[in-house]
Amino acid sequence: MESVVKGKIKIYSTAITAIILLILGIIISVSVGIADVDLLMVLKSFFEINPSKEQLIIQTLRLPRAIIGALVGANLAVAGALMQAITRNSLASPQVFGVNAGASFFIVTAFALFPSLSSPSLVFSAFIGAAVGGITVYSFASGGGMTHVKLALAGIAVHFLLSSLTQGIIIFSEQAKDVLYWLVGSISGKSWTHVMIILPWSIVGLFISLLLSRSISILVLGESTAQGLGQRVNHIRILAGILVIILAGSSVAVAGPIGFVGLIVPHIVRRLVGGDYRRIIPFSALFGALLLVYADILARFIAYPFESPVGIVTAIIGAPFFLYLAKKGRNIKQ
Amino acid sequence: MNTKQKLLLNRNFHPNLVLLVLLIIILILSIVSLGLGAIYITPSEIIRNFIGEETQSQRFILNNYRLPRIIIAIIVGAGLATAGAILQGILRNPLASPDVIGVTKGAGLAAVIIIVLFPSSPIIFLPLSAFIGAAIIATILMLFVYKKGAQPNTLALVGIALGAICQAGIEYFMIKFPDNVNSTLLWLTGSLWARGWEHVYILLPCLILIPLLIGLTSKLDILSLGDDIATSLGERSKFLRYILLSVAVILIGVCVATVGSIGFIGLIAPHIARRIVGSKFKVLLPASALVGAALLLVADSLGRGLFPPLEIPAGIITAVIGAPYFLYLLRSERKKA
Amino acid sequence: MQSFIKLGKLSGLTLILLFTIMMVLAGCNAAQNNTDKEKEEQTSTGAKESKGRVIKHEMGETVIKNTPKKIVTLELSFVDSLNTLGMTPLGIADDNKKDMIAKLVGSDIDYTSVGTREQPSLEVISSLQPDLIIADVERHSAIYKDLQQIAPTIVLKSRESTYQENLDSFKTIAETLGQAETAEKRLSEHEKIINEINSKLNLDTNLTVLPAVVRDTSFQAHTTSSYDGELLEKLGLKVAIQDEQPYVEMSLEQLVEINPDVLLLANNEGKLLTDEWKDNPLWKDLKAVKNDQIYSVDRDLWTRFRGIISAEAIAKDTLTKLNEK
Repeated sequence: MESVVKGKIKIYSTAITAIILLILGIIISVSVGIADVDLLMVLKSFFEINPSKEQLIIQTLRLPRAIIGALVGANLAVAGALMQAITRNSLASPQVFGVNAGASFFIVTAFALFPSLSSPSLVFSAFIGAAVGGITVYSFASGGGMTHVKLALAGIAVHFLLSSLTQGIIIFSEQAKDVLYWLVGSISGKSWTHVMIILPWSIVGLFISLLLSRSISILVLGESTAQGLGQRVNHIRILAGILVIILAGSSVAVAGPIGFVGLIVPHIVRRLVGGDYRRIIPFSALFGALLLVYADILARFIAYPFESPVGIVTAIIGAPFFLYLAKKGRNIKQ
Repeated sequence: MNTKQKLLLNRNFHPNLVLLVLLIIILILSIVSLGLGAIYITPSEIIRNFIGEETQSQRFILNNYRLPRIIIAIIVGAGLATAGAILQGILRNPLASPDVIGVTKGAGLAAVIIIVLFPSSPIIFLPLSAFIGAAIIATILMLFVYKKGAQPNTLALVGIALGAICQAGIEYFMIKFPDNVNSTLLWLTGSLWARGWEHVYILLPCLILIPLLIGLTSKLDILSLGDDIATSLGERSKFLRYILLSVAVILIGVCVATVGSIGFIGLIAPHIARRIVGSKFKVLLPASALVGAALLLVADSLGRGLFPPLEIPAGIITAVIGAPYFLYLLRSERKKA
Repeated sequence: MQSFIKLGKLSGLTLILLFTIMMVLAGCNAAQNNTDKEKEEQTSTGAKESKGRVIKHEMGETVIKNTPKKIVTLELSFVDSLNTLGMTPLGIADDNKKDMIAKLVGSDIDYTSVGTREQPSLEVISSLQPDLIIADVERHSAIYKDLQQIAPTIVLKSRESTYQENLDSFKTIAETLGQAETAEKRLSEHEKIINEINSKLNLDTNLTVLPAVVRDTSFQAHTTSSYDGELLEKLGLKVAIQDEQPYVEMSLEQLVEINPDVLLLANNEGKLLTDEWKDNPLWKDLKAVKNDQIYSVDRDLWTRFRGIISAEAIAKDTLTKLNEK
């Protein structure tokens, strides 16, 4: 009984720390940039009716950027958690699964073929691409038990195929060359328009994921257990799959394929709060937001005063982590 | 290919006959390929050129551009396919390939650094650095898995992770130096454009590996039975695996250094070969090499002949040819499971 | 059938070995012929060296005999240079865009496309049998040897070159074509035109100008070390960003910080990032926007062509646009 209470205290304190860190991160993110802005002005800017130039910069440029960072981070982390749950594979994530590559390929194609396509409709081509990439990898990797290696191989193969097609389009289309920066994943220069594009999908996706988290916890215990407990296993899987496509697809459409967030965050969260998905999903959202907001702050200093895409920062953090998981993975299960 | 054909190829013909047929196919492809390009040359003109009756300008094009390209396509195609077959054998995984274990990406990162940071360095530096990049990644790979006893699964996973790290590096340099993006991308997709005799000479030392490979094929057959059986048959499986891996890495390094990171050949050529001659490495290895050579030859000829004078990089064509076949493989693998 | 059975005794690998050796021998043989021919050519050029001009360029020296007439150019600025000297190339690496070349020269000219600037087709170039090839040091130094086998080749700075480097390239081309004097005259005329426009552009010297390329996802500012930036400085204007890097990506925030007086935007086709920015109050607060000092310029002319005629066209363009007010 005591340990249960201790556990609860630990979880609450983790949650509170994370929220404080996130708010702090957003404030730092809003204050750091070319134009000097002090903390007081940041706070004031939220209430000013007749804002100065600096306050306008905060309101119209830096705040939406920070919010997009938080939303994209949350989306990708939850998508990763869902994938790791339905595949019961600790390497699963939007990137490994070809979801990001699929969405990128479809968006680059759309850029090249219909340059005047509006941003909201880009989201749908991202959805289609995410679905195509994800389903292709899943349908192969799941045959005869999804081992780490099988998943990773199928993912890398699909990724390789899609990225060489994307490169082909870029080489031959002057238009598409411009998306290169976008292809690494960046949230710089995003405005409220972009927030409005991603926000509805984020809300829907994250909310349904929370509702689904109980069923997913049971699913993770094993299919036979889940069936015994009256869960309709396939329905949950399909629903979770759709959620992954919505969450990852809308993120890619707005910020480009930012890698490794969906892979790292659920692992860290699992270590902090245990294996119950009722906790893993909300905490993944929180920590995903946290990771991307801070990574974005770092991205501004790599090539200061010019910006670097945040995708490079997540890759620098994420790739060694992947290496670590890969080495460890052998000991867990094959 | 329907089952009847497969039966015919599998059972009724001697493997050497199959290899001979493949050789003839490559020979025919080479002659057709010699004619394709911005200046079309008919097969009869080609033959006349080679027996001595020559048109000066045609002979110049054939000798200086097309012949070396065809030889490079054959050697690189064969090299990548052989490396793929070896990797699939030692990793005991049908999806292993040079692209997968990260070595190609290592070469790519090194090449991008040279293209971007030292654009005016001598031409020879590019293949050299690509080779060094491949070797470094391969060394790290081997160090990482050394303690684990070169287990196939660890090898593949660590390879993928190293590949991801290199990819991040490549992206960083491309963003940092956007002016060189096009030449970088061209190299990354892989192209045989403007490859000439000096590149053939870079590839030639590869041929030394052929006798070594002949000696190793039977060992590969034993290894593919699994470590336990291999050990009980008196083979030092760990040591063998390192030797074979090194051979594969050398092949990949040299090939990628010459033409850039052309994908899918190392993945699909061994599969096609396996369908034709079965999975005995003694025949599979040469058959893979021939299929790989034919594939790259076709890809390069198409790239040159489709929209002259524009050229489509061979790597894009191999991806377009390789993709449907790969999807087909995905499906059939799943059925088997 | 019997022969097949005999063949069966050979191992498959031996077969391959034989085949590869065969191929390589054939290859070496051809290459041998090749180098022999090269040597022959070298000695023959050596004999005539006294008659030819030695042209120094980025990749060494090339001996030019007589006056080249059949010229292949692999970058756009070289077309401009030839045009300035009253010549047209036989073959152009035009990326398959005949319209762009027509715009560059000012009229439809007859030439053969030799493919893209990135990967020109050596086959087509050799089939044209040119007597001079002009190549770019950044894109084509890797194929210099191949080009030399086709015809005397000079390698010059064009892509990413500065304004001054571009003028130097023009001088070298003129020298190669035996028109050094014409070029000198033309260059001083060019200087006069530029100075004239400089004096006509009677603007406040403290005004800052920012040329930039706008695409759907990026706003790329050109600095003092870019071609158009340097030219604008020659015209007596002050370019807003002083940097060693010719191009820098900018966010709206950085643009607000720099706040140039005049924006010269080379817009891409299709959607533009600035369309998105237009709704932002910060954009409306920019000096250039408030004073209605935003001009759209032709992207081909300003950022791609480079050359004497193009530079003058840019200068005139600037003059008409900025003096409108």
